[in-house]
Amino acid sequence: MFKNYLKTAFRRLSRSRMYTIVNIIGLTVGITSCILIGLFIKNELSYDRFNKNADRIVRVNMSYGNSISTSNAAVTGTKVGPQFQLTFPQVESYVRLYPISGIVKYQDKMFNEKKILYADSTFFQIFSFHLLRGNPATALSTPNDIVITPEIAKKYFGDADPVGKVLHIGTEPGSQNDYTVTGVVADAPAASQIKFDFIASFNSLRKIVDNPQWFTANYYTYLLLHNPSQIAPLQKGITVYMKEVNKNELGMTGSDFLTYHLEPLTRVHLYSKVGEGMEPSGSITTVYILGIIAILILLIACINYTNLATAQSAGRGMEVGIRKVFGANRRQLFSQFIGESFLLTIISFVTAILLAVLLLPAFNHLTDRTMSASAIASPAFIVGLILLCFFITFISGGYPAMMLTHSGLTKILRSGFHVTSSGCGLRKTLIIFQFAVSVFLIISTLIILQQLNYINHRNIGYDKDYVIELPVDYRMRSEYGAFKRAIGNYPGVTAVTGAYTGPVNIQWGDAISAQTKSGNISFNVNAIPVDLGFISTMKMQLIAGSIFTPGDLMKMDTSNNNANFQYTYILNETAVRKLGWTPEEAIEKIINKGAPGIIKGVVKDFNFTSLHQPIGPLVIFLDPSFVNEMLVRVKGSDVPATLRFLQETWRTWAPYRPFEYHFLDEDYAHLYISEQRTGKVFSIFSILAIVLACLGLLALAAYTTVQRTREIGIRKVMGASASNIAVLVSKDFIKLVIIGIVIASPVAWWAMYKWLNNFAYRIQIQWWMFVVAGVLAIFIALITVSFQAVRAAIANPVESLRSE
Amino acid sequence: MQNNMIKISNLEKIYRTEEVETIALNKMNMEVKEGEFVAVMGPSGCGKSTLLNILGLLDDPNGGSFLFNGEEIAHYNERQRANLRKRTIGFVFQSFNLIDELTVFENVELPLIYTGVKASERKERVEAALDKMQIMHRRNHYPQQLSGGQQQRVAVARAVVNQPKLILADEPTGNLDSSNGNEVMALLTDLNDAGTTIVMVTHSEHDAKYAHRIIRMLDGQTVTESILREQL
Repeated sequence: MFKNYLKTAFRRLSRSRMYTIVNIIGLTVGITSCILIGLFIKNELSYDRFNKNADRIVRVNMSYGNSISTSNAAVTGTKVGPQFQLTFPQVESYVRLYPISGIVKYQDKMFNEKKILYADSTFFQIFSFHLLRGNPATALSTPNDIVITPEIAKKYFGDADPVGKVLHIGTEPGSQNDYTVTGVVADAPAASQIKFDFIASFNSLRKIVDNPQWFTANYYTYLLLHNPSQIAPLQKGITVYMKEVNKNELGMTGSDFLTYHLEPLTRVHLYSKVGEGMEPSGSITTVYILGIIAILILLIACINYTNLATAQSAGRGMEVGIRKVFGANRRQLFSQFIGESFLLTIISFVTAILLAVLLLPAFNHLTDRTMSASAIASPAFIVGLILLCFFITFISGGYPAMMLTHSGLTKILRSGFHVTSSGCGLRKTLIIFQFAVSVFLIISTLIILQQLNYINHRNIGYDKDYVIELPVDYRMRSEYGAFKRAIGNYPGVTAVTGAYTGPVNIQWGDAISAQTKSGNISFNVNAIPVDLGFISTMKMQLIAGSIFTPGDLMKMDTSNNNANFQYTYILNETAVRKLGWTPEEAIEKIINKGAPGIIKGVVKDFNFTSLHQPIGPLVIFLDPSFVNEMLVRVKGSDVPATLRFLQETWRTWAPYRPFEYHFLDEDYAHLYISEQRTGKVFSIFSILAIVLACLGLLALAAYTTVQRTREIGIRKVMGASASNIAVLVSKDFIKLVIIGIVIASPVAWWAMYKWLNNFAYRIQIQWWMFVVAGVLAIFIALITVSFQAVRAAIANPVESLRSE
Repeated sequence: MQNNMIKISNLEKIYRTEEVETIALNKMNMEVKEGEFVAVMGPSGCGKSTLLNILGLLDDPNGGSFLFNGEEIAHYNERQRANLRKRTIGFVFQSFNLIDELTVFENVELPLIYTGVKASERKERVEAALDKMQIMHRRNHYPQQLSGGQQQRVAVARAVVNQPKLILADEPTGNLDSSNGNEVMALLTDLNDAGTTIVMVTHSEHDAKYAHRIIRMLDGQTVTESILREQL
């Protein structure tokens, strides 16, 4: 019996080619999307869970401020780990991590390495990274131990045994720079928030280790607890304990506070609200959005199947009738039709798995992950795929099978099989659903792209284009001034300055206090130390006072133990407003940020973090000793020549370091990488959705036209023109598309309103966006349908009547 | 005197749509004896096909009595009817009603599959039926590849493969030319001679002459009955 079903199904599929192709393409695309997105979701949900102790590890986040402002950070001072282990019995051990980049040298090989990690010796006990060579207990126990990945071993030592070799790392001035390789560690899994090429022992940072601090928060602290249930009690204990520390040890007064929040390791990647972790976080919202999109695309494909199968059932009445006459019962018939849908699903599944494997590299690029195709073969995923296979089979094939088997026998035999009006209603509903989803995605895409365009072209308060950033490290500082002059003299360069970072994303957290009309005010600010010429090179707009001058450097008097040391400050409008002054009033006023100093100027507000956040108070202070980046504004006319010049100059001044540069606008674009990604994902999937919906519409229009052949013939005999017929056939479909648009618009408006709310600076949703999306959908649907409609309309009516 | 295989009395079938009520069978009475060959004639719309559907257990009557082999089956539900049907009744249609996706062999095999006959036995019986209908050489062809006469021979093979006691034929020669039509009628006569009861609806006086008895219908009732020859 099963063989008979399979045989019929195969023959049927090979005979109704359009039906089969539309369904296989649709289901394949739907399943491929599901597999890829499924891999992504699996990857995201499994983040950091490879650690055997995952449920017992927490990250310590710092929270500090006062009643006016609070700041949160994923980093802490060096004291947190050891002090908490001493104080709280729940803490089994701790590890502090300090990621840096630096120049690594071995003999004549020299590279700028971005993933060097300092870690306490407990690293391999707390996390489950796999040490290929060396002893996990001792590999990081003594100063200047270093563990490297196989790739790095190959890069520096070729095929020689890396263990015992000595690498030179230029990091901090004054620290001992020769590191002995004590082990080889396997690459961190893709789904790990901690990634590395080198791991050096934390106690190599002697000055830092010997003098543990609550503040100077540059280090990630992870605690290993004895068991997971201790997180909440420990958190309570920390809150109480830190109040004591604030009062007795740190001497804080008023509303000032410093405390810590524990974040379970497995929640960091998807749920953390604290920025700047070990790597950019994922987001549970993205997981949801992608999951929903995958389901929607799959539903559109299933709907194509359901619609085509019911439309096609017109031609299958006789078969059903005959089978019933010769004794088939409902269950047997139902199995037969479900079998057909199962066969189609299986074919699509095999194609989809192959396609997913092929597309995975591109999808990895899109999502910035390194997922491997082998994950498809994991038991959990296979079970998921099998369930999905049954789900699709029944979702798409269930209704047609039921419809075909439940119709009365004599009705079929007497008048052939007619698609019932209720089936027709369902079909209409499903088309409406498909187009509602497509239009929703089109509107969302339009709005996301508009917002991205806004981000790229918004006046952010300075000119981010044609600025090259060059790194400055401690060895270059002595020559920095000369180097700067050498660059500044080149005709292709219009201005040179330096700063702690570029102005794109200023993360330095600080606090200022000042005596104002309403008493002493203090609040948290962002701050950036800069070199002379910062404001003018960045083309920021000064609205009061003047810019820094060489004379201001003289005030930084370090003699007599800094007794007369003064900073010079330029504040942004928001900071001045927060102090209760107008820009003009603020000039020459004194504020204190570690050291006292006068406000020399007020700069017009510019966006110094991503547009998600409103512009906060910012203090720009003159201190060239903090310069990490040289900012070179170049003429747009011959950038390659200027870069060649910079490279040559670099070789002269910093021969110990490879020439590496990037553009400021790249930094800016990097801030919105997740939004760019969302934009791409939406673009791709809305195109897929509309293509699939149209594919279904095309096939459905073909069937309906065939069913209406007689009607069309009669109308033509009665004098209908070709255009009358085309309108007749298209009208019904377009009506459904319009209903889809009406349903999708408010939903899209709501979703996009929510999304845009994530941005402090955003576009307004405009009515024309909906019109464009609607017109686009109608236009595409019209082209699809009219293809069939015109064919029907220009056919010879005698032919169409004869065929009845 | 043979037993009655079919006895219907005061049988009613009414089709209702929202506005129109059509009486297809109006208190119809009729008997068919075991081994008899009965032809049912009448103008279009007189209720012939409705009668055949009810006799074939494809449809249920609205009223009256239907004794099949002495058992009252007017109240049978669909499942019961289907069970009785697949064991005892074979059908031959005017438009052959072969499944396009199945070969000649597979079409004939179909009733055996649904009655749960084992594969080896199925092969034997299908081949025997095809042999008898002289269509064995076409066993692997699809219906579209056959002439009308050949298709109807396949349909007859399918109707008899289950060795039914009753064959219901709905204008079996309606779509055939006269020589093919005669061949099919000869096949039916042979089957009847071998003991199978046959009820045939036809418009053709020529075909009707193959029967023992002709029932003429009008407006859902029997109007005349004529005996052509005695049943042996």
